Amino acid sequence: MDAALKRRLEARFGDRLTAPVYQRHDETEIRIGPGDVPDVCRTLHDEPDFQFVLLADLAGVDTGSVMQVVYHLWGDTSPDWLRVVADGLSRDDPRVPSVTFLWQGAEWMEREAYDMFGITFEGNRDLRRIYMPPDYQSFPLRKDFFLPDDAARSPGAGVRHMEQVHAPRNTRTADTIRKVRA
Amino acid sequence: MTAAPPHGQREAPSDDPRVQLDEAAGVFEPVPPYPPRTEREAEFYTLGDGEMFINMGPQHPSTHGVLRIVLKLDGEVVVDLDPVLGYLHRGVEKLCENADYHHSIAYLDPLEYISSLFCEWPGVLAFEKLLDVQVPRRAEYIRVLSTELNRILSHSMFIGWMALDLGGLTPILYGLIERDEIAEMLAALTGQRLLYNYLRIGGVNGDLNHEFMSRLGDWMSRATTQIEANLGLLNENEIFVRRMRGLGVMDRETAFRMAVTGPSLRATGVPLDFRRAHPYSVFPELEFDIPTRDEGDCLARYLVRIDEIKQSLRIIDQCIHNMPDGPVMAKLPRLLRPRPGRAYAAVEGPRGQYAAYVVSDGTDQPFRMRIHDPSFVHLQSVGVLMPGHLIADAMAVMASLDPIMGGVDK
Amino acid sequence: MTAVARSWGRLTLAGKILFTVIPILLLLTAGLVLVVVLFGKPVVDFLAANLWLVRFLVAATAVLLMSVPTAFLIIYMEMKVIALMNLRIGPDRVGPFGSLLSVVHGLKVLMKEDFSPTGSDRLVFTLAPVVVYMSAVMSLLVLPFAPGLFGADINIGLLYLFAVGGLTVVGLLMAGWSSFNKYSLLGGLRSAAQVVSYEIPLTLSVVGLLILTGTMSLNQISLNQAGWFTNWYVFQQPLGALIFFIAATAEGNRTPFDLTEADSEIVAGFATEYSGMRFGFFFFAEYVNVFIISGLFVALFLGGWNAPIAWPEAWAIHLTFDPGSTGMGLLFALLLIPPILILALAAPFYVGRSSLPWWQALIIGFVLFNVLAIVVVGGWAFISLDWVAGLLWFLGKTYVFVFTFVWMRGTLPRVRIDQLMGFAWKWLLPASLLNLFVTALAVIVMNPR
Repeated sequence: MDAALKRRLEARFGDRLTAPVYQRHDETEIRIGPGDVPDVCRTLHDEPDFQFVLLADLAGVDTGSVMQVVYHLWGDTSPDWLRVVADGLSRDDPRVPSVTFLWQGAEWMEREAYDMFGITFEGNRDLRRIYMPPDYQSFPLRKDFFLPDDAARSPGAGVRHMEQVHAPRNTRTADTIRKVRA
Repeated sequence: MTAAPPHGQREAPSDDPRVQLDEAAGVFEPVPPYPPRTEREAEFYTLGDGEMFINMGPQHPSTHGVLRIVLKLDGEVVVDLDPVLGYLHRGVEKLCENADYHHSIAYLDPLEYISSLFCEWPGVLAFEKLLDVQVPRRAEYIRVLSTELNRILSHSMFIGWMALDLGGLTPILYGLIERDEIAEMLAALTGQRLLYNYLRIGGVNGDLNHEFMSRLGDWMSRATTQIEANLGLLNENEIFVRRMRGLGVMDRETAFRMAVTGPSLRATGVPLDFRRAHPYSVFPELEFDIPTRDEGDCLARYLVRIDEIKQSLRIIDQCIHNMPDGPVMAKLPRLLRPRPGRAYAAVEGPRGQYAAYVVSDGTDQPFRMRIHDPSFVHLQSVGVLMPGHLIADAMAVMASLDPIMGGVDK
Repeated sequence: MTAVARSWGRLTLAGKILFTVIPILLLLTAGLVLVVVLFGKPVVDFLAANLWLVRFLVAATAVLLMSVPTAFLIIYMEMKVIALMNLRIGPDRVGPFGSLLSVVHGLKVLMKEDFSPTGSDRLVFTLAPVVVYMSAVMSLLVLPFAPGLFGADINIGLLYLFAVGGLTVVGLLMAGWSSFNKYSLLGGLRSAAQVVSYEIPLTLSVVGLLILTGTMSLNQISLNQAGWFTNWYVFQQPLGALIFFIAATAEGNRTPFDLTEADSEIVAGFATEYSGMRFGFFFFAEYVNVFIISGLFVALFLGGWNAPIAWPEAWAIHLTFDPGSTGMGLLFALLLIPPILILALAAPFYVGRSSLPWWQALIIGFVLFNVLAIVVVGGWAFISLDWVAGLLWFLGKTYVFVFTFVWMRGTLPRVRIDQLMGFAWKWLLPASLLNLFVTALAVIVMNPR
């Protein structure tokens, strides 16, 4: 709980924050729109007030209604973890500018978010699948991912009983998937 | 079913891109059979003058698990490389979304199977943050004790693998002796030798027992001398030192740029250890140093880990002497429904920062369980450090970053 | 016909082999006897006139036959010794302490599928191990095992050895190239570069020795080191011996110079695609090479077959007893002494331990009798036959160095290719030249002519 950090963040980014700075335990969270990601991250990385030099984690989140990309940063100036949530990405075509210009180590983490969610990171030089085979069609960690659907599209589908789709299709519409307000 | 093609002829290539991928692209080239999809792929898969591809495939005596690296070589010098992951991908994050909070702890174990207590810990810490659970002091001390033992186990194996990748056949067996003793100890405590599944939300699974304490006491009395003797095999061996010195030098800026944490970062001179920088558990009460080196080469990364073993022994000593009494598990309802929200927790493990980001929606299953694993991040540095070295050195560089493929592939 | 087919089908594999092989052997023997009887005399006369040919044929056959058990022994030694150094047990199932392991391995590689990879050049692929193995075996021809016990006393023996050793390079390159595999190619090129680079210090380190001995015949060099161990050339050419040892380690692709088979980097190097008996040839060739370089080191610098101390003539034991002169007494001795001794050796055990059955006591007695007989007969042979003594000394010293090579493998990591080449060209070559000049200078100063 670093109140000083909260004040600094509100002072610096006030207009770009889409929600109040949220603090709990040892985490401070700010929410921004996806377009602001490069500027905000560069400011947090470079400015002596903030100096969040370590990218601790880069994750994609599918809340059921929107997609998010969540960055966790660490710096010497504050005892808190700083969480930057790029909120409001659409679930149909999520796009976020890449932070690989600041941290080259984000390349694979963004590849993983692309592989699991389909989030396109603009500016990432190597945005291809990292875990799934290169010809895979779906994005596994999305809430509307349906495994038999995937098996049905594999080259071996339909030959044997187990490879045929027995479950009803179209079960994962936007109404039936799990949602969270987060 | 189509008829078999006439003997000696291949089938006519179909238009379906997926079927084309299933055919071998040429029996011998690791170049993918489709046009490059990204800028980096195009850059990598075009050969310059005198260059060739070599595929260090998923089965290889030297990659630390199932990892495929496509190397672009100019003679013996590595010009570029492209690691291909996913051979051990088990979908842990998705599995945790469909499981209880308690069950997901068991899914977290096989991530980095050598240091599984460190893989469980951030998940458990994040759950405890969401549930606002206070862990009893005795449980915290037992957690620190068992995880520091796990750290020593992991570093002993690292020493063995590092030597094995350089060609020495003996040190790995000495490392295995250390590992075996600690595995027996932890088996007496947790019931398992490899995937411990010991940490629970609110504490640990069982109290210390007599067999564990007697094995621990016995081992501690000779640990220092034994480890010194084992290390003497490598530290004083001219060939080892000459091969590791000056190899794969990573400086501060590169380390932060590649998001490297842990001993590899401390070997570049940055004294960042999350046990001191962002204390959790009972580390504020324990006395230990943070070993750092300045050179940033393989030898420095190796020596930092050795110093860490010594510091871990100090911590274990303090834990044994200051172990408080009390329960080992907090009182929790059987069905856990944390409040909706988000929590992030990180611990300092033998390879770096292990972290978990949990999004909860108020039900008894995590909504999103994001696992951050240091090996995954560090494997990117291999692409930055390897080019320019010979193949033999390339494997040594990869070994010094100590990746475990279970964590890389989740 | 079907009865024969049915009976054939009921045989086991061993039976099928025996049933095929034994008639063929019998026929061959009969044919050979016939040939000998019909054409024997002229052939025997020819051979009697050219005894050197007979000697050479026998020697070559003996060397070929001897190389395989040597390789077996060294393979077993390597596995067991490295295991013990690694605090493991190693082979211990197949014979007493696992000693029959190599035999089993040999049979196993014979039974594997004859496989060559797609795209490989089959002729070259098959010939490469033969070339490597033959170069190893040909080197064994000139090693002096004992006075009078060598394959051929070539008066340019050393030159012959280095020439034949160079054949290995050809074999390795053939293996690397014909495997149609980039790993093999890398391994073959690495090994060719390594072997060629280290041949120069190897040869130069011995030239200093040649100046001192004046002869290239290994037999003569061993003869020159007779007497006390201070006569051994290692004291006159310490630097040369050291360089030879290091260069020979690299020639034999042994750790710390074993990058060609560095399995942590390029799987198995040039031998990646080899399996079955072809791989067996490479395997055996490597261990025969270890024996050769140890034997060479011993013959050149450590006195060959000579004992370290010269038994003074005044104390020489002359066994003048000729067993044949006793006539029938010999027959009685051979019939009576063994049972009497066995019973005599078994008796203490039988009497002393009440629970021991009589047949176990007899077995112990038999074993002890055998030990005693070996000691007595061996001792007699050692004392009276100089070639037995020489052979035992030579083999003993050689196996000390084989053990050293195995020890180095278990202990040391490997060096990198550029460090290896740098070491050869920047350190060993100048050192061997220095050795050569100093030796030449010393000879000129001390023996001005």
